[in-house]
Amino acid sequence: MSTEERPRTGWLQDRLGWSELTASLSALRAPRRGFMFYLGGLTLFLFLVQVASGILLLLHYRPDAAVAFDSVEEIIGNIPYGSLIRGIHVWASDLFVACLIAHLFSVVIRRTYKAPHELAWLSGHAALVLGVGLAFTGAILPWSHKAYGQARIGSELARSVPIFGEAMRRFMRGGEEVSPSTLNHAFGFHVAVLPAALTLLVAAHGFFLYRKPAYVAEPGTKPVETIPLYPDFLVRQAVAWTGIIVVLMTLALFVDRPLGEAANPLAPTAAVRPPWYFLPFHQIVRSSPAELIGFNGPKFIVGAACGLGLVVIALPFVDPRGSKITTWAAWIMLLILALLAASALL
Amino acid sequence: MGGSAAAFAVAMGYPVARFIEPRPPAESGPASVGKVEEFPVGSVKTVLVHDRPVLISRAQDGQIRAFSAICTHLQCIVGYSAERNQIECPCHQGVYSVEGQHLSGPPPRDLEEMSVAITDGLVVVTGPIG
Repeated sequence: MSTEERPRTGWLQDRLGWSELTASLSALRAPRRGFMFYLGGLTLFLFLVQVASGILLLLHYRPDAAVAFDSVEEIIGNIPYGSLIRGIHVWASDLFVACLIAHLFSVVIRRTYKAPHELAWLSGHAALVLGVGLAFTGAILPWSHKAYGQARIGSELARSVPIFGEAMRRFMRGGEEVSPSTLNHAFGFHVAVLPAALTLLVAAHGFFLYRKPAYVAEPGTKPVETIPLYPDFLVRQAVAWTGIIVVLMTLALFVDRPLGEAANPLAPTAAVRPPWYFLPFHQIVRSSPAELIGFNGPKFIVGAACGLGLVVIALPFVDPRGSKITTWAAWIMLLILALLAASALL
Repeated sequence: MGGSAAAFAVAMGYPVARFIEPRPPAESGPASVGKVEEFPVGSVKTVLVHDRPVLISRAQDGQIRAFSAICTHLQCIVGYSAERNQIECPCHQGVYSVEGQHLSGPPPRDLEEMSVAITDGLVVVTGPIG
């Protein structure tokens, strides 16, 4: 085929080096079976959805305590498709945190945190912390009375963290009190600092997995059946993304996320329920006695939870061979968390 | 190489950390919350003192007292119930008396009392007691 007869896309493919690119992607392998392997890709996709919908919301949102609530009301009520865009953003945030947590548990249950995947594990944890931070700061931005209450309670829970608690509380509030500074602080972190840091972490996480793929079988065990990354795995991943789009759109269209009343520091905080991912934690803290084994009850519980979190982060070093006990512990932990969340909702 | 990178990180990191550190409140110290007549005998009102909600309670004998309106349990904002003549936290059902004493529910201690002065007919909250 002469140059003149080549299809128009040939020019672009030539400039992009498309055939070399697809050949190198085809050389990479991914496991054939296992839904769990798609959770990372789903999390990444939901992050991208949040970035895109967040940029759109930014065009109408005003990060000023005096007008923030009104601007969100206007987005929902007056801007064409504003309610849908906000719904997508809010639900994508929830699904994003759900996928992050499911991804974490899937790695623990399959014990793929063990050597040589320490760096992927640690970067994944850092991404989880930033992801929850992204959700927490985002929940403050509407500056509704509920958002105001969540900022108060969330930052107060952080104060119970050993050693760094007081500094964390001040940092989360942008000062000593929940005030307009809290909104400004949350806004800056939500739209710039956290997404930028998360993008870098996701890139690092992908690089670590590229260098040390998570599906490689251990010596002496049956080899894992694999497929080429391109097109086989990416097409399957695209199917999963299509599925999550359907779920997301269904939620955004049919399940309302009411805004409530504007923040009023003079009005009593209503019975604020924290975001669902804090429910188990909040349930323990709210029902803890004021004093526990001679310590402040909530502080003791938050300290214990932090200790447990550190053990989980250090799993590749604490349990480098990947003991089956860890799998059972993860299932039991999942069950306890689900029961606590259910009891908080009842 | 590593030393240079570390020195660069510290040289850049310190100013950045100081920049994002929350600033101390622009306003502090005593704050006037209104005229004495605005707080009738037997009333409990919530006012804002440097972004912090504060309850101003005026007893039957005319004495004015101020309490932090922040629940000592998980920092929700409490409110006065005229119907039950008590201070309530709707978050987790903590109850305090109009003197700020913890009566029931999960709060571990009384509401924080703040010192009040009457200056030129104005109620001035001068800060926490102790």
